[in-house]
Amino acid sequence: MFLEVKNIVKSFHNEAVVRDLNFSLDAHKTLSILGKSGCGKTTMLKIIAGLENADAGTISLGGKNIDDVKPGKRNVVYLYQEDLLFPHLNIFENIAFGLRIKKFSELEITEKVNAMVESLELKGQETKMPHQLSGGQRQRVSFGRAIITNPSLLLLDEPFGSLDAGTRQRMQEFFKSLTAKYQITSLFVTHDLKEAILMGDEIAYMETGRLKVYTDKTDFINDPATGVKNEIGFWENLISVKPEKEIPRK
Amino acid sequence: MLPGYFGFRNWRQIFASETGLISSFLLSVVISLSVALTSTLSGFLISRSVSYHPRKRLFTLLTYFPYILAPVVFAACLSYFFLKTGLFGSATGVVVAQFMIAFPYALIFFSSFWNERIRQYEELTATLGGNRRQTFLKVLLPLAKGMLLICFFQTFLISWFEYGLTSIIGVGKVQTLTIKVFLFIKEANFYYGALSCCLLIFPPVLLLYINKRYVFNKLI
Repeated sequence: MFLEVKNIVKSFHNEAVVRDLNFSLDAHKTLSILGKSGCGKTTMLKIIAGLENADAGTISLGGKNIDDVKPGKRNVVYLYQEDLLFPHLNIFENIAFGLRIKKFSELEITEKVNAMVESLELKGQETKMPHQLSGGQRQRVSFGRAIITNPSLLLLDEPFGSLDAGTRQRMQEFFKSLTAKYQITSLFVTHDLKEAILMGDEIAYMETGRLKVYTDKTDFINDPATGVKNEIGFWENLISVKPEKEIPRK
Repeated sequence: MLPGYFGFRNWRQIFASETGLISSFLLSVVISLSVALTSTLSGFLISRSVSYHPRKRLFTLLTYFPYILAPVVFAACLSYFFLKTGLFGSATGVVVAQFMIAFPYALIFFSSFWNERIRQYEELTATLGGNRRQTFLKVLLPLAKGMLLICFFQTFLISWFEYGLTSIIGVGKVQTLTIKVFLFIKEANFYYGALSCCLLIFPPVLLLYINKRYVFNKLI
């Protein structure tokens, strides 16, 4: 397995936030993780990114233990719900940011950024500043800025949470195509049931710090804890309710 | 009512006289620039540690300490240590004393900058491969540019118009322009008093113009 997380435990002020976390993921796959707010999803991602230290457990990536590797050296990029584009840089420079940090040559930066801009369908927008873009465009730039550095693992913490329904749907499709094109391995955290099913090659459910990974989507759907059955029941009830007789107008 | 001659001849005459006005002006500029630069930069860097520290509230409370005491009382408390370290009556001593007033101001000023969003920027930069130096130079300093300029301006003003601390720690040897203004007023020398007031107002007006031109307009 490309990513292996074993027995991770984390507490804050004697309160267990992540309990005995165990899962693994193949390369170029997306594991979507569903969970309610405060269930420990963000802490789990931050531990994998190296932004938080686990109290116990180990993480290996590509066969190498990364427990003592600093965030900047893990090649794991963590993306927040907010796009966090740098307001002082234009779109080209935002995308080029990671490459400049890693001291790529100017020629390589120009080539890679131009190719990425094309993939992001943002041709002609390179010189614009972040505040001149729409929410969806900003989120695309944020993906591009992360993917261009060729990360071993991409961690997405409810990346579409701040988008409207239409943009969210378009971004889901766009992200699927982008991960396929660049062969990205990712963990996709969401609290949206439909999004979790759509985005993941594999799916997991997190509750009070415990993560349960489902071998296939049918198991996930059939587990009452995930809430899928409730959701299906709601829509079935709504459809089966007969419309009331219309009261004739006097 | 109006002077018969407008031009630089009178200024030249004043500066050529033995009032030491030009040297006081230059000394004040050097002291205020030193205080503003050191307190703004150190305030920015140290406020980060204070804001992210678990005992943030205690440290923030301590930063208000220099403002509880009147500057003269504060200077009297400090004078023993300045005597011991040989800083009494020197320009360096005045810079250190004024720094003790300006630095807490910078700490309080920058405390609002270090919020959850800035922390997220720092973490994002780290996962993109940036080290601490790169994070400061390429992300934090550009994000804080407007605040840095405003803080520099404010701390410059604190230092520029400071009288109580400067008069006690400087013991009359360090004659900044503000000290000079008070001396002229005490002497009832209102011509030189008015002239030094004109000089006193010049750098703040220049800084105000720079701030309005390059900072405030961009913030709005």
